Amino acid sequence: MGLFDAIGISGSGLTAERMRMDVTSENLANAETTKAANGQPYRRKEVVLQEAGGAGNDFASVLSSVQGGGSGSGAGVANGVKVSGIVEDSSPLKRIYDPGHPDADKNGYVTMPNVNTVTEMTDLISSSRAYEANVTAMQTAKTMFSKTLDLLR
Amino acid sequence: MGLFDTTQIGLERALSGSALRQQAISQNIANVNTPGYRRQDVDFASALHAAWDGGQSAVSSVNPTQQADMSSVMRADGSSVDIDQEASTQAENGLHYEAIESVMKTRISILKSAIGGS
Repeated sequence: MGLFDAIGISGSGLTAERMRMDVTSENLANAETTKAANGQPYRRKEVVLQEAGGAGNDFASVLSSVQGGGSGSGAGVANGVKVSGIVEDSSPLKRIYDPGHPDADKNGYVTMPNVNTVTEMTDLISSSRAYEANVTAMQTAKTMFSKTLDLLR
Repeated sequence: MGLFDTTQIGLERALSGSALRQQAISQNIANVNTPGYRRQDVDFASALHAAWDGGQSAVSSVNPTQQADMSSVMRADGSSVDIDQEASTQAENGLHYEAIESVMKTRISILKSAIGGS
């Protein structure tokens, strides 16, 4: 059924956008971290999104593929978005002159994370807006579905 | 003639087409930040319109499918989703669904009163 799938798809969008927000928050929190878990300066992380295509092998998708296209659900419809990975940004780390810093090298330079606060803030706005759009899409599908239930009254 | 005529079946087809279209729009909005994603849409209106004069069997065989929109991409990440366009398509599709649904509701209540219910 199209409308239940639509709600699930919007749900996958919410998960993906929240994941982007989590990673952005981590980047912002570590904007000045000169020693990450591996002892190196922190590298900014990025979420890679991918279209979640094709029907899975769960009960609902097997049932709908057996039922065929006659139900109007269409064949081979995609099912939302998924996070295919979290990758480190390989762009160069910043170097600033700060001889008093405990992690400064012998010339007085400190290697700082490649986090740009402005980039992170725009990413944060982007994912927050996309999250809202997914909520609206889910709301529309819900309204459409409850209108259909009204037909039974 | 059965209990449900061509119009009723046509309305049912239009409802499922519209529901599938909502699914495609949700898919587009979910993938707004997916690099290289091509937006999907469902065209059922023109197929349904063409089948309308062909009678009940033609109308009931209209099967809406989801298709990728291969028009040009304006975004740097290769995603072809325009969030404003999706929002307006969604609003339009939602109203369309409601319109079909209320016609259907009226027809059902006429049918109910003909049967003798209230």
